[in-house]
Amino acid sequence: MIGRVRPLFLWSASTRRLVVGMVIIALVLLFLLPRQTQFLLQQVGKPVADVVSVPLEMMADVDRGVRNWWNQYIALQGIYEQNRDLQVKVQNLEGELNQLREQALASQRLTALLDFQEESAMTTLAARVIGRSASNWYHGVVLNKGEDDGVAVEMGVVTPAGIVGYIVKVASSTSIALLITDPNVAVTGLIQRTRDEGIVQGTAQGFVRMKYIPPLAAVKEGDTVVTSGLTGGFPRGLLIGQVLTVGEREGDLFQTAHVAPVVDFGKLEEVLIVLPPPSSESTESIGNILTSQEKKPKDS
Amino acid sequence: MKTGLFVGCILLLVPLQTTVLGSISPFGIRPDLCLIAACLIGFLTGQVQGLIMGFFLGFVQDLFSASDLWLNTITKSGVGFFAGLIARNLANAASHSAFLVVAVFSVFSGVVFMVSSRVGMDIGDVLLGFPSILLPQALFDGLVAIAAYWVATRWTPEASSF
Repeated sequence: MIGRVRPLFLWSASTRRLVVGMVIIALVLLFLLPRQTQFLLQQVGKPVADVVSVPLEMMADVDRGVRNWWNQYIALQGIYEQNRDLQVKVQNLEGELNQLREQALASQRLTALLDFQEESAMTTLAARVIGRSASNWYHGVVLNKGEDDGVAVEMGVVTPAGIVGYIVKVASSTSIALLITDPNVAVTGLIQRTRDEGIVQGTAQGFVRMKYIPPLAAVKEGDTVVTSGLTGGFPRGLLIGQVLTVGEREGDLFQTAHVAPVVDFGKLEEVLIVLPPPSSESTESIGNILTSQEKKPKDS
Repeated sequence: MKTGLFVGCILLLVPLQTTVLGSISPFGIRPDLCLIAACLIGFLTGQVQGLIMGFFLGFVQDLFSASDLWLNTITKSGVGFFAGLIARNLANAASHSAFLVVAVFSVFSGVVFMVSSRVGMDIGDVLLGFPSILLPQALFDGLVAIAAYWVATRWTPEASSF
């Protein structure tokens, strides 16, 4: 038997028994009723998360400061700043260009049916990335906006360049967003050129692929993938990435494409959280809009 | 002093894990500081201390992780408890024992996470977690544990007789 350091907690025997008993009861409940206890523990955890978020934000500031200092003074000062500004500008322009391209296509095809301007308008909330998910098994980021700022689970997270992921956990002042490179995230996507839909999902390797593309779709390398707007969280036409390769094996019912996301997830610093539109009309699906448009002539 | 260390561990380890370690993670793998802490506390101070610290560390880690089902709370509690049990039955403990215990528990914890985070996926995708995350993280955790063990045994005179 090995020697020991002094116990961490110098409690009396009864206090110790009480704490151990409570921990064991909590563990048994968590193990047997994970879903049922999740809500309760989330409520208990909110004040704890608030307390922990204070040193977290401080460390994030220190980390950011050290990184900025390193990048600006150790690694070629002027070039870094210029490069960063240009990258931001290119990302913004790409985002704008994509939105315009999408609007033009939609106008040509669906002018009579959709008010695209209204659909693509979205209310967003700016948030700062203050950390990475505390587990290697999930690709997530910690944001500095939470329930107090109106953030809720399943809201989309984007940058001007394209989509990032969606919110999976919310505390009072922080939230966790799961990135689209995580295998547990799936978003409905659209090949912009061919208008074929599919499911965009992260992979175990940290990449992104688009599944369930119709077998006859003429998808090719370099095609742009955008959100289809059919799933919650994201409006239509936000850039997801570009097709790298298309995998089609004989006998497969669908095609699968590997997609290179436009967002550099390793350098995420600021993001926008997509808030729900103020009126329910703007959340109508295309199907609903088509139906209402078809009804109009009859009504008149 | 000890309570301060306990609260400090809980308040600082998770922020450290989510911020600073994100910038210095080789191959995108970060050591699981909470697992290492729970394991070493159980290893050095006993299974009850390991259980309690593992519970609280795991709970805070769950709050800042995208995982659900409170997996960290359960796995870290178990890791702290069983590390304490193992240490009770060891004739001699040294840094290599700490390395082995932490690495083994890291693999155990990794398997739990790998299975739960890859539900419904191809078996190939699931197994890919072994070489890409699980084994490098176990190695990384073990190496950090050696350093942490060395620091802990020099800070606490009672442990110098190990």
